[in-house]
Amino acid sequence: MKILLVEDDSEAATYLVQALDEAGHVTHHAQDGETGYAMASNMEYDVLIIDRMLPRRDGISIIETLRAEDNETPVLILSALGEVEDRVTGLRSGGDDYLTKPYAFSELLARIEVLARRSNPAEAATSYQVGDLRLDRLSRLVMRDDEKILLQPREYRLLEFLMKYSGQVVTRTMLLENVWDYHFDPQTNVIDVHMSRLRAKIDRGHKKQLLQTIRGAGYMIRE
Amino acid sequence: MNNIAKLWRTTTVRLTALFILIFIVFSFALLGYVGFQSSIEIQRAQSRDVAWEIRQFRNLDKHRGMRALAIAVQRISSQPGPGIYYLGNPAGEMIAGNFFAIPPNVLSAPGQYSFPYSLEDAFDRRVRRPAENQQEEHENSRREGRKSQAIVRSVVLDSGLLLVVGRDIVQRRDFTQIIVRTLAFGLIGIVLFSAIAGVLTARRVLRRIDTINATSAVIMSGNMSERVPVTKRDDEFDQLATGLNEMLDRIEQLMLGLKQVTDNVAHDLKTPLTRLRNRAEAALREGSTDADHRQALEATIAESDQLISTFNALLLIARIEAGSSTDALSDVDVSQSVEDVCELYGPVIEDAGGQLIVDIERGINLHANHELLSQALVNLLENTIKYALKESAFKAKGEGNGGKQITSEQILVSLGRQNGRVLITVTDHGPGIPEKDRARVLERFVRLEKSRTKSGSGLGLALVAAVAKLHKGSFEIHNAHPGVKAVISLPETK
Repeated sequence: MKILLVEDDSEAATYLVQALDEAGHVTHHAQDGETGYAMASNMEYDVLIIDRMLPRRDGISIIETLRAEDNETPVLILSALGEVEDRVTGLRSGGDDYLTKPYAFSELLARIEVLARRSNPAEAATSYQVGDLRLDRLSRLVMRDDEKILLQPREYRLLEFLMKYSGQVVTRTMLLENVWDYHFDPQTNVIDVHMSRLRAKIDRGHKKQLLQTIRGAGYMIRE
Repeated sequence: MNNIAKLWRTTTVRLTALFILIFIVFSFALLGYVGFQSSIEIQRAQSRDVAWEIRQFRNLDKHRGMRALAIAVQRISSQPGPGIYYLGNPAGEMIAGNFFAIPPNVLSAPGQYSFPYSLEDAFDRRVRRPAENQQEEHENSRREGRKSQAIVRSVVLDSGLLLVVGRDIVQRRDFTQIIVRTLAFGLIGIVLFSAIAGVLTARRVLRRIDTINATSAVIMSGNMSERVPVTKRDDEFDQLATGLNEMLDRIEQLMLGLKQVTDNVAHDLKTPLTRLRNRAEAALREGSTDADHRQALEATIAESDQLISTFNALLLIARIEAGSSTDALSDVDVSQSVEDVCELYGPVIEDAGGQLIVDIERGINLHANHELLSQALVNLLENTIKYALKESAFKAKGEGNGGKQITSEQILVSLGRQNGRVLITVTDHGPGIPEKDRARVLERFVRLEKSRTKSGSGLGLALVAAVAKLHKGSFEIHNAHPGVKAVISLPETK
């Protein structure tokens, strides 16, 4: 994946570029808003990571200009401002996801991988298939091995989200945001409890475990 | 000088000046009107008098003869006043009268005339009686050499004599002047009086304003507890003072909150930071293995995550208390919000060995912040898991009976209306909170557990209280005999 990182804190940027490189991504780095905008509009990237407060030009303005120029590259906004209103302003300007500083690298990685996939037309699919597990979005039917699995509405949405991004790590925070629409961090691992219930429904009695826990990062569904 | 300038800048003085100006303009208009009207009236009366006198003299001439007429004219001529009389024969010789400067054209043809004349020439002072007082003397001397104006009528009598009767209109002007002068004196009095009244009022106003200014100066110099004095009059200044005082109370409260946060940050964030540093230092010490390093780093990350969440919670509470989140209020289906949280936590509580009982009244809508309300309820449920369930499970184990008390695992979440308020209640049957600590636990960083073995920032209930306050509601902790009954009470909104 080709990634552009627009971040003025050079230490944080160096660390991120290195970590993304280790994760197998090519990352370009821009130190200020003007350079970042020039690079984003002249080169093709898969994902842009843009800090909100930048010298010479702020992140929101970069995104707004890019969107006005029909540049639809997915954008992850990084910001120290974490209130719901800040998040809303960020997403309204055209950002696709919002991550509050400080963050875990695994969280950032999971999010940009999901973002890069989001621009993929495959996401509008009417059904998802992972191994012998099949989810039909029209009838809301979940089958494994031709056996119907009964899910609670929330469990269905949880599975739908996981299968939509199958083969990719999905963090607990992402699940809390996308499935429950909560943007705070409960102390207890509520997500783990729900995941273990979901796992019991789809994996119990099967030899192949589809729903996997990725240590220190989150969950992933894959063959 | 400075005081006068200050006084001049006051609204009262300016208004008074404006009113005085308007009053003067109107008074002058009135004076002009009165003067004009009275001069017309006097003129009318004079010409009536002149006509009457001529009629009388004609009668005398007709019935009593020339001599009687001459005596009558002479007598009336010597009376003080504006009267002008002249009786002469056709040859132009004066027989009687007091006026010696009749222009020839008046005598040549009868009719009405108006002409200027010199007072010195016209009157024979020997004929006129002496001045009665000094005022008159002064008037007379002032009249010396002065030009005056006469309005006369001349007629030819039956006997062929020429009679001229008229009035000196300077006299009339004098009368008008008297009226004007009287009114002007009154005017000056009124202007003076209102100016003084205006200045006095302005000074009174200024004094009240000065006390407010003095108070604000004291506050600016650092004494936040100072308040604007409020009198018993309950006038507009008292209302202003009350409003200012309420504002000051709010500001003081916010500043206190800020100070508390700063103190909290200093105390409760420094401790984990120190721990963090010590751990890193220990890992650097010689002789430690890679496994030790790894463990130390993992602990460091866990510790910083905890620090970050504490910091976030602290900032959130501060923001809520500052009221900046009020703009994020929208119409929220509270029943749905509560149900969603219960749905999220039901399995968690079950796994922790409890049972969540939910009693939700449907269709409760409030103007609220969905996210914060959900978080408040989450915090309450987190507390029951942490303190009620784990505690009672621990106790049950510790007592060694292995069995669980039925009630201690039940956690009840209820939402309902009561007396125009919406109540969100979370009840557990754990160890509860001692009476004396119930108010204290709502403060920031207050944790009753001395050993601090459980994770947590001590901010959970403080956040609940702040959220309740943001919604103009209250948060209280009651005894559930045994256990905790936490009640968020919110006013119903339209």
